[in-house]
Amino acid sequence: MRLLLWPRSLAARTALVLLLSLTVVQVAGLTIHALDRIGLQRLGLARDIGVRTMNFYRVLAMTPPEDRASVLKELTPTPGLHARLSEAPPPPGGLPPSPPTWHHLVRSNMNIVGLPVTARPHEFLFYGGPADERMVIGMPLPEGGWLSVASDVPPPVPWHSRTFLIAFVLMTLAAAVLTIWAVRRLTTPVRTLAAAAEALGRDVNAPPLPEDGPTEIATAAAAFNTMAGRIRRFVHDRTEMLTAIGHDLRTPITRMKLRAEFMEDDEQRRKMLADLEEMEAMVAATLAFGRDATSAEPVAALDLPELLRTLLDEAGDARPGSPAALCYEGPQRLTIRARPLALKRALANLVANALNYGGGARIRLAPPARGFVIVEVEDDGPGIPPEEIDRVFEPFHRVENSRNRETGGVGLGLPIARNILRAHGGDITLANMPRGGARATVQLPA
Amino acid sequence: MQHALPSRRGIAYGSGMEQVPHILVVDDDREIRDLLARFLERHRLRVSGARDGREARRLWPNGHYHLVVLDLMLPGESGLDLARWMRGQSDVPIVMLTAMGDETDRIIGLELGADDYVAKPFNPRELLARIRAVLRRAGEPVEQRVERGARPLLFGGWTLEPARRRLLNPEGVEVALTGGEYDLLAALVERANRVLTRDMLLDLLRGRQAGPFDRAIDVAISRLRRKLEDDGRRAQLIKTVRGGGYVLAAPVERS
Repeated sequence: MRLLLWPRSLAARTALVLLLSLTVVQVAGLTIHALDRIGLQRLGLARDIGVRTMNFYRVLAMTPPEDRASVLKELTPTPGLHARLSEAPPPPGGLPPSPPTWHHLVRSNMNIVGLPVTARPHEFLFYGGPADERMVIGMPLPEGGWLSVASDVPPPVPWHSRTFLIAFVLMTLAAAVLTIWAVRRLTTPVRTLAAAAEALGRDVNAPPLPEDGPTEIATAAAAFNTMAGRIRRFVHDRTEMLTAIGHDLRTPITRMKLRAEFMEDDEQRRKMLADLEEMEAMVAATLAFGRDATSAEPVAALDLPELLRTLLDEAGDARPGSPAALCYEGPQRLTIRARPLALKRALANLVANALNYGGGARIRLAPPARGFVIVEVEDDGPGIPPEEIDRVFEPFHRVENSRNRETGGVGLGLPIARNILRAHGGDITLANMPRGGARATVQLPA
Repeated sequence: MQHALPSRRGIAYGSGMEQVPHILVVDDDREIRDLLARFLERHRLRVSGARDGREARRLWPNGHYHLVVLDLMLPGESGLDLARWMRGQSDVPIVMLTAMGDETDRIIGLELGADDYVAKPFNPRELLARIRAVLRRAGEPVEQRVERGARPLLFGGWTLEPARRRLLNPEGVEVALTGGEYDLLAALVERANRVLTRDMLLDLLRGRQAGPFDRAIDVAISRLRRKLEDDGRRAQLIKTVRGGGYVLAAPVERS
């Protein structure tokens, strides 16, 4: 139950806590206000009833008994108050005797009205009170007879003004809106930090965080930027090293290729050249891996289906006579914006993997949906061992059964592809299909 | 742009003429220069070597070079600057050695007027084939000489960009080509409205493409037609000529 109502986001949690406390404070405030009003109204009512009843008494007590009835008639009728003369003490009329607190309150207010000592009533009867919403006060008049005054005791109204309630609701709403706004504003840096960490994971050259705002946030941003800088330097150094090795290897490989041309033994020369081709491919992959981090190729419009079909054609041309299944499924024309050479390299790596490990490549292109196009490259091979699937994107990692000449490779095809695709704002995932074979799923901004 | 300057000495390579083509190899590695010289000399070429731009400029007046093999990664003066200087001097064909995968240098080099390129580490035989192809082109009679350059070629709304080796459709969207398809299309576009037999095409493309392409010109043509949205049976752009040949039937403009 608690888990159901407890929101996930920091902003929502903070807002919820603040809004709940605001509600508690408001309810308490309203209650205090209402109780105070009720108390005041009670006091006012008691004074009203007491003083007005006593005024009747005073007028009648100073009137000779025979004139009292006519005087009473002439007295201005008072709403909610009804005076009567009688010979005997008035009956309770179904009302219980007044509760002592109420009767003392009314009685003390009756003393406010001044009267000669001789004219003071020597007896009081109190029936009813606030609980009955009516009360009757009976007093003997001098020279005989009784006066009984029945009064309405209206229930207290805690808030009689509508504007008060409207103002209160508006105030609460304003406070709630301000709270939510402030909480969202205050938690924005946390979201920014999360987004920056995510961006850094995709691209080490992501722009730094602004180091402003509240002290704690600025400190966190600065620490994050320092960390990002160290990671960047580390990646940069490593890439530089790989690129330098790659560059330096080109001269000896060229020399050896030339020397091979002077070998007498044709068989040995052929093998030597094959070895050198392999080395060259490794160097090329290493250089490509190093370069992609800082790719400067301009973005251009290109036709994706034609690129995919061309890759399949090239793969087919490079393996003449092999029965590899190569097929493309998808739209005939679809223009996207990308870095053509880089994208071609990334997708070519996937096709090469499918052919090397899976003996065929099926490419499926899904038309743009939610801003992305999806390219799936499937093969019919043995798939990827489950324990390896998380590691295939690590540079120089090769799936165990690929460490042989036939499938070859340096273990850079997928890392290069992923670097390129992420630099395009896309991504790649690899999975085994239920019916066997592996599927690379590429996501590219449409 | 390129007139039949006397400095672009046409030599009919391999046609039995006496003159042996003289190649200038500019590379900073002495071993590569020596090995390449030995290799090329074995294939009936004369070779001089220069280790950098200074030496190349010093040797320039001495030899009447038919072709320059130029490494773009030179110490001191860059290979691109040297290529620019050579272009200012003469029309001598230049084959560049580019850093593997360094598209920028390659594009600038081709835009400067280099004739071809080979990525380093190169296969010596491939380099030899390119040298021969370039020499052969330079040796074509003036009236048949194909105007080469890096400027885009416009035909039937399509654009072929030699510097970037790419094809743009009428909307300016890049349409991917395999290397063989590009070379085939470039050969047809550069010789637009001339019938090219399959043998001529094979001859023009030799050096760039290996084995399987020989048997696949027809396949490549049909793929090109698909890419150019040129219906095979009523082809308007690449027409089949009876007797085994193709012609690009469209006016070509250099932009």
